Amino acid sequence: MLPSLPTIVALVKIGLLVGGLMTAAAYLVLVERWMAAWVQDRKGPNRVGIPLTKIRLFGLGQPLADGLKIILKEDFTPKHVDKVLYVAAPLVLLAASLAIFAAIPFGSSLPPIPALGLTGEEPLLVAPGLDVGVLWVFALSSIAVYGVLLGGWASNNKYGFLGGLRSSAQLVAYEIPLGLGLLGVVLAAGSLKLDAIMNAQASSGVWYAFAQPLGFVVFLIASFAEAARLPFDLPEAEQELVGGYHTEYSGIKLLLFLVSEFLHMVTAAFLIVIMFLGGWHLWGVTGSGPVETWLVALIRFAVLSAKIFGVILFFMLVRWSWPRFRFDQLMNLAWKVMLPLGLANLVTVAAVEEFRPQLVTALGEGWAKAAAIAVPWAVFFLGWIAAGLLTPSGTDNTPIRTAGPLDAEHVLGSRPHDLVEA
Amino acid sequence: MIASILPSISPGTLLAGGVTATAASLWLLLPGGRSGAADRTARWLGWLLGIVALAGFIATGHRLGSVGEEAVFLTVALVAVISGAATVVSRSPVYAAIWFAMALAGVSGVLLVLGGQFLGVATIVVYAGAILVMFLFVLMLAQPAGLAPYDRVSNEPLLAAVAGAVLLGILSLSIGRLTAEPPACCLMGGTKAALLADSAAAEPATAAASGIDMLADNHVARLGGELFGRHLLAVEVAGVLLLVALIGSIAIVSRGAADAESAAARRAMP
Repeated sequence: MLPSLPTIVALVKIGLLVGGLMTAAAYLVLVERWMAAWVQDRKGPNRVGIPLTKIRLFGLGQPLADGLKIILKEDFTPKHVDKVLYVAAPLVLLAASLAIFAAIPFGSSLPPIPALGLTGEEPLLVAPGLDVGVLWVFALSSIAVYGVLLGGWASNNKYGFLGGLRSSAQLVAYEIPLGLGLLGVVLAAGSLKLDAIMNAQASSGVWYAFAQPLGFVVFLIASFAEAARLPFDLPEAEQELVGGYHTEYSGIKLLLFLVSEFLHMVTAAFLIVIMFLGGWHLWGVTGSGPVETWLVALIRFAVLSAKIFGVILFFMLVRWSWPRFRFDQLMNLAWKVMLPLGLANLVTVAAVEEFRPQLVTALGEGWAKAAAIAVPWAVFFLGWIAAGLLTPSGTDNTPIRTAGPLDAEHVLGSRPHDLVEA
Repeated sequence: MIASILPSISPGTLLAGGVTATAASLWLLLPGGRSGAADRTARWLGWLLGIVALAGFIATGHRLGSVGEEAVFLTVALVAVISGAATVVSRSPVYAAIWFAMALAGVSGVLLVLGGQFLGVATIVVYAGAILVMFLFVLMLAQPAGLAPYDRVSNEPLLAAVAGAVLLGILSLSIGRLTAEPPACCLMGGTKAALLADSAAAEPATAAASGIDMLADNHVARLGGELFGRHLLAVEVAGVLLLVALIGSIAIVSRGAADAESAAARRAMP
């Protein structure tokens, strides 16, 4: 018995997406190393080419060599770990970060292909019927916390455990500004579907980064934190904090953790482009109507991919531009800066959307559109000034004197020297 | 073979048998303070009985339309039921929480298969993503030294098992309606086909009047309209309730901090 046509189409899309993502992740690591070398004024990986020959190919063989090296490394499982959860944690994290892509479109859509029985436009999205795409993304990114928490706990190691708690607290805290950024876009587009959000931006011609600058900045910073990229990469802070939840991991399990963190960055880039930078839309190039020819489909796919690649390059450039946050600064930023700014953005967007009809009748179509962009920008600058004046994030590096050794006893509920002893 | 025997048994007997097997299985599985070897035997027997009961419920349940749909539904439903049982019977609180997360994932899968997309995803966001993560934080922070003895046994395992199984029976009866043909005493009484048929049969007037179509495309918009139209007052009251809880927790925390501060001040000036 053959599976039905929609099933086959979905399987093909899943295959393309997973294969493409994994290959892209491998080569993005190479790009990241090139970027690091360029910023630090050195040459970077440029030797590995075709194996067993002297052909170098600018180092394009490097991902293969890296992958082989880490897979062939000894996969050491310490004796003191909780075996089941130790193995399950990286799998949970990878599964969650791949399943997110079920709701994320990777292009506009294909024109009808009557030869294969596809009579309608075929959306480039694994689950086109999912009416709650944004929530699906949000749900699965909250599942990723389990991988971090379980990895730290199952390692049965103080550094790993504290790293797990630290990272999961960070993920949970930044989910709130992330959600507030999402909500502003959902409110303006009137849909939870990511392809509908792109269509809304394409048909109006105003990307949400211009219409909601505050939401864009809040979402951008929160997605850096969710992807655990610098300046929020406390899981990786081995110089200061002995690494994080994957301290006890090695070999292919560590690879799974690192790949899923990388996929989080790719997901964040997809979301930033789709929700705030117009998705596949570019003025005068892609058009905004339905897809009728293969050329349009290809151009839209190329525009989306180029934008995503640009955002990923931005992620990589930021990595070498800012120092790491201290943990209390990170928390202060989430709760005392990002949360109020996110709320301010949400209220502004709600007010603009509510009074848009009145604006149109009072000012006319063009001026109403200008006002709907000007008001959020005014709020953006006001919010920026307020955040700068109040500086609750304590950006100086003075040590904090509020916590003494007796407070540790109060907070942890155990004697402090228990923590020091092995 | 099973298929030929099952129809000859009356649905009532079948349901009673299934419920009894479920109760016995749960009672054997629950950590009741038995000694090592007896406990291991009891757990084997319990899982075996549970699988038999589950197979009976599945064999007598409604069938969905296509084989693929049926397979997906059975997978997520089994994940939900088995993880639910494992949550109750696990010996370690952290494992119980993980199994509970699996059960929630299964339930969310069932809701997605049945067309309740918003509820399915909301289950993950609210329960698995927020509440359970907090449980895990507390469990991991509170018990670094290992399990307390009272975490290893369950109080009243017999009563708990019987109560759970009776609840299962009552739900099966009320949802499946225990019709003579086909036997509907089932865990799967809530399948799409059954739910749609039931709601259409039971309340055709209301279903038609309010235009409820579970499988419509824009059901998030419909849900929102319903919540903020007909049930606006309930939503607002729930919001105020949450706000009050939030303020209360802040008040308690700040009072605790003030107490700690004054205690520190007393210590500082002898």
